[in-house]
Amino acid sequence: MSEPILEVKNLTKTYSNGVQALKGVSFDVKQGEFLVVIGLSGSGKSTLLRCINNLHQPTGGSIVFKGEDITRIDGAKAKKVRSKIGMIFQHFNLIPRYSVYKNALSGAMSRTSTFKSIFGSFSKKDKEKALEYLDLVGIKEKAYIRADQLSGGQQQRVAIARALTQSPEILLADEPVASLDPATCHVVMDYLRKVNRELGLTVVCNLHFLSLVREYADRVIALKDGELVFEGSPENIDEEWFETIYGDAAKEVHIN
Amino acid sequence: MNKNKQVIFQSVLLDGLIFTFVVLSLLVYFVNPSEDQLLMLSRNTFLSLGVFAFSGVVVFLLNSKGIHTIGHILFAEPQLSEAVQEDVPWFKKFWGIELIVAFIIAFYASFVVTEFSFYELFSESGFLGAQRIFSSLLNPNFEILPRAILAIIETIFMAFMATVLAVPIAFVLSFLCAKNVMSGHKVLFAIYGTIRTLLNVTRSIEPLIWAIIFSVWVGIGPFAGMLALLLHSVASLAKNYSELVECISEGPVEAIKATGASSLQVVWFAMVPQIVLPYTAFTIYRWDINVRMATIIGLVGGGGIGTMLIQYQGQALWNEVGCLVLVIAVVVWVMDTGSAYIREAIK
Repeated sequence: MSEPILEVKNLTKTYSNGVQALKGVSFDVKQGEFLVVIGLSGSGKSTLLRCINNLHQPTGGSIVFKGEDITRIDGAKAKKVRSKIGMIFQHFNLIPRYSVYKNALSGAMSRTSTFKSIFGSFSKKDKEKALEYLDLVGIKEKAYIRADQLSGGQQQRVAIARALTQSPEILLADEPVASLDPATCHVVMDYLRKVNRELGLTVVCNLHFLSLVREYADRVIALKDGELVFEGSPENIDEEWFETIYGDAAKEVHIN
Repeated sequence: MNKNKQVIFQSVLLDGLIFTFVVLSLLVYFVNPSEDQLLMLSRNTFLSLGVFAFSGVVVFLLNSKGIHTIGHILFAEPQLSEAVQEDVPWFKKFWGIELIVAFIIAFYASFVVTEFSFYELFSESGFLGAQRIFSSLLNPNFEILPRAILAIIETIFMAFMATVLAVPIAFVLSFLCAKNVMSGHKVLFAIYGTIRTLLNVTRSIEPLIWAIIFSVWVGIGPFAGMLALLLHSVASLAKNYSELVECISEGPVEAIKATGASSLQVVWFAMVPQIVLPYTAFTIYRWDINVRMATIIGLVGGGGIGTMLIQYQGQALWNEVGCLVLVIAVVVWVMDTGSAYIREAIK
């Protein structure tokens, strides 16, 4: 836990329809940590992640990634930055008709010229990488099966392999287990932890369930209505904080 | 209140037209004008516009008095107070009566205009004509069969060529006229609008008209017909394709973008796999449609079996026409069934 790899300062995002998703959020992400972002649906968690890799343009504030300001970038620069930031999604977002292997390989897109990638010609190194990471998430034996034939948990593992093939320096996970059953949930989270510990990859993960947060997070930040309301270690989220973050009526649900 | 003004405008326009139609129809019925009177274009236009203006005022007054016309029902947002009065059946409300009256008048007018006549359909001389043509058609002259087959092969290839050439052009255009692809930037959106408009204009001109244009341009024959079909196919396929592009799921697009891929890579990896099967289905269907259209286009000099058909029809050689009709029917049926099977299989 040393240097911050990512510094977010006073970040604001207002959508064109007037919705203020982020109202001045500031925090650091330290090199190699597993940071979890919690908060209700609509609290701005997803927007936050999408601002970091420039899928959405922030309205104000700044994002510094490895000492470089990436708040307002576009074109080739944005693509370069995105290639260093892996992302996985709630609905996996694989290409359903492509094989598991081809999905994983599509993470190498930014290193492959457009012309070559259209003809499916990726470098040998990238192909090896894709297989290696499929192996890492335990799904190598399904490499030639179509992605839409897999279960949800398996698809998410392929999505992790795709993100890893990018050779990212940070991995963003937008509610990676929100559409999975409790058992599969843990499998996927375990792989994320494995990636974090074994590869030393920094992970920023949006989560819903506090029990998962306590188990996997090194550090937690909480968003409420687009503002940062908590920053600290997971043990420090007590009953009182829970009510602040989720509202008075909330009751904690446990996933085992 | 901008929305409100728009509703009033739409309602006055639609109901104004309906009212004008009703008034003018009644006028024609009761005054029974002579043909000379009907041909006075400027005077009649003036009269129609007058009636339209008057109707518009009436509609506006009705709506402001709370009597709702068809336009109001269609375009205005439903109000709670109206939802509560649901116990009146629709045909007793003003808009219901308006609808029924306009429909009955339109139906009666179409009887008169199309000179609908049971007498001619079932009279003795009518039957004799029917008997003559059917007996000839059902006794086809198979002597011209070899030439008919050659002609229909020409027609099928015309359709095939038009489809094959249209596919790559429509493929590229479909992304350029898909809203979700082109809405990122003002320039892109301008391109989107221009291409959409051009395609709409092209599509609204029937291939038959294009065939007439091209038969003067490149001369009568299959090439003119092929060009006409090509143009129409590009416009139709680009529209079908772009609708597919517009309803692809955004998830994979976002994911591929997030890997740092270029725009072309995003299109190729995230969009194309989602649309390639429905594209194929539409393309096969288009070929099927093109074979039928190629027949029709032949009638105006587009080559193929249509041209042959019009020659024999002109000389009233009904037995030969019968043979051609049979060949066309068989080919269309085979194409239709075949393409349906293939489309079903790749779903």
